Amino acid sequence: MQISKSSESTDQTSALELDNVSLSYDGGPNVLTNLNLSLPSGSFHFLTGASGAGKTSLLKLLYLAQRPTQGSVRLFGTNVTAAARSALPAIRRKVGVVFQDFRLLDHLSAFDNVALPLRVANAPEPEIKSNVSELLSWVGLDEYMDAKPETLSGGQKQRVAIARAVVNRPRLILADEPTGNVDDTIAMRLMQLFMEMNKLGSNVIIATHNEHLVAKFGFNRLALENHRLSELPPLAANGAQA
Amino acid sequence: MISLRTDLPLGGDSASRFIPWLMAIMVFLGILSVSGVAVFDTILSGWSRAVTGTLTVQIPALSAINEDSANQARTDRAVAALESLPSVRSVKVLKNTEIEALLAPWLGDAAAIGDLPIPVLIDVSLSDESTAIIEGLRTAVTTVVPDAIIDDHRRWFEHLIDLTEGFRLLTIGIALIVTTALALTVVYATRASMAEFREVISVLHLIGARDIYVATQFAKRTLSAALKGSAGGLLAGVFTQIAIGLLASNVESGFLPDIDLGFGFWISLPLVSLAAAVLAMITAYITVLSTLRSMV
Repeated sequence: MQISKSSESTDQTSALELDNVSLSYDGGPNVLTNLNLSLPSGSFHFLTGASGAGKTSLLKLLYLAQRPTQGSVRLFGTNVTAAARSALPAIRRKVGVVFQDFRLLDHLSAFDNVALPLRVANAPEPEIKSNVSELLSWVGLDEYMDAKPETLSGGQKQRVAIARAVVNRPRLILADEPTGNVDDTIAMRLMQLFMEMNKLGSNVIIATHNEHLVAKFGFNRLALENHRLSELPPLAANGAQA
Repeated sequence: MISLRTDLPLGGDSASRFIPWLMAIMVFLGILSVSGVAVFDTILSGWSRAVTGTLTVQIPALSAINEDSANQARTDRAVAALESLPSVRSVKVLKNTEIEALLAPWLGDAAAIGDLPIPVLIDVSLSDESTAIIEGLRTAVTTVVPDAIIDDHRRWFEHLIDLTEGFRLLTIGIALIVTTALALTVVYATRASMAEFREVISVLHLIGARDIYVATQFAKRTLSAALKGSAGGLLAGVFTQIAIGLLASNVESGFLPDIDLGFGFWISLPLVSLAAAVLAMITAYITVLSTLRSMV
């Protein structure tokens, strides 16, 4: 797939910074405690951790569905923790998210679901048609453009969700178990898509339990354990740390 | 052309089912209100035209019997006084049969009326009905017939104007109540709809939609539902209007002036319908914006 480079250049500031970030829900115990992290532009990481370790909560902080109870989150140089509500849409447009439960809109076709990020950004319809069609072909769904999500399999829905996340060439792609429902061939193809986006300047964070995937692609890891975050080197193909 | 394409599901939720019916009823009531104002205005102007430039001089009868010559002399003096005035265009003494016809609905047949001291009525047509002219006429007539009564219809007509104004204000009040009820119901329906589409709104926000985008989606959706309903209300209103017109045409002529509401009135009916739909759309837009802005 030919994806032209975004006119928005990637600057040298950190794409993502967490400074002493903690999160708890409704005054309960911390699900994330004192996270500190700085990711340079163009990075690619796997986010690993046991179930309940807080991977989804961390992703929620990064796609601005949640504000931290302590500390600050900076995205592309902007402190989003302190940002006004009206400033958030512009930042969210730079973040593409693949939700674990897909969160596709059931009344819209696959095409219209993928087109949503472009439509909310007021992109012209010819551009939407061209980009969305090309992307759906790339993920192998060119025959399902008019299909409603309820008629698609889990793997097909996941591919639609991924296409929606990357269609507007975001600067940060967050994916929660993006290969969980697809076979190996499709999983490899989707990983290729993420890597292609990364080459074009997008930061990518993929939350996964799939150690085989983590080992095969050898990217740095962000590990959540006991509500704390650590950055680890790539996992070697035999499971040992590289 | 404005596209009514929306990212929200059309139909199936409470607002989609409810708003067309609400709009149909509100537009129907709105059309009745507009019709009421138009009819009152038309009747008033018809009566106004009928009495403008005229007055009635009443010469009371001296006695029920044996005073015919004296009564005739008083009438002749009044007529002469009236005809001498330059502002008087014409003078017409009503015949007894005409007076008896006027009194018949209240006093019975002519035989019974014949024994009563019936006053002489003189219809006067004026070229100028200013207060000074009428006062001059009153002086001229009462000089020759001191107990003559000059009725320029103003008192009667002022009461009629008051009554019609009252009806008109009542109708405008009803229209305002209908409008307020429409707006409040759309607010309620929109909030219910937002609760139903919480997940859709959440997804739209997370992919970068501004509040204005979400509000526009709801506004388009409301406009689409409202236009369907208001078209139904318009049709019902027009048919009702035609039916009332047919019934009114059966009323004995002379009691009501001819009521021709005119082209402007019929053009205003679709405008009422359209205005109601636009009001619903704007209300939905503002409701969504204010609800979203109150969120953190």
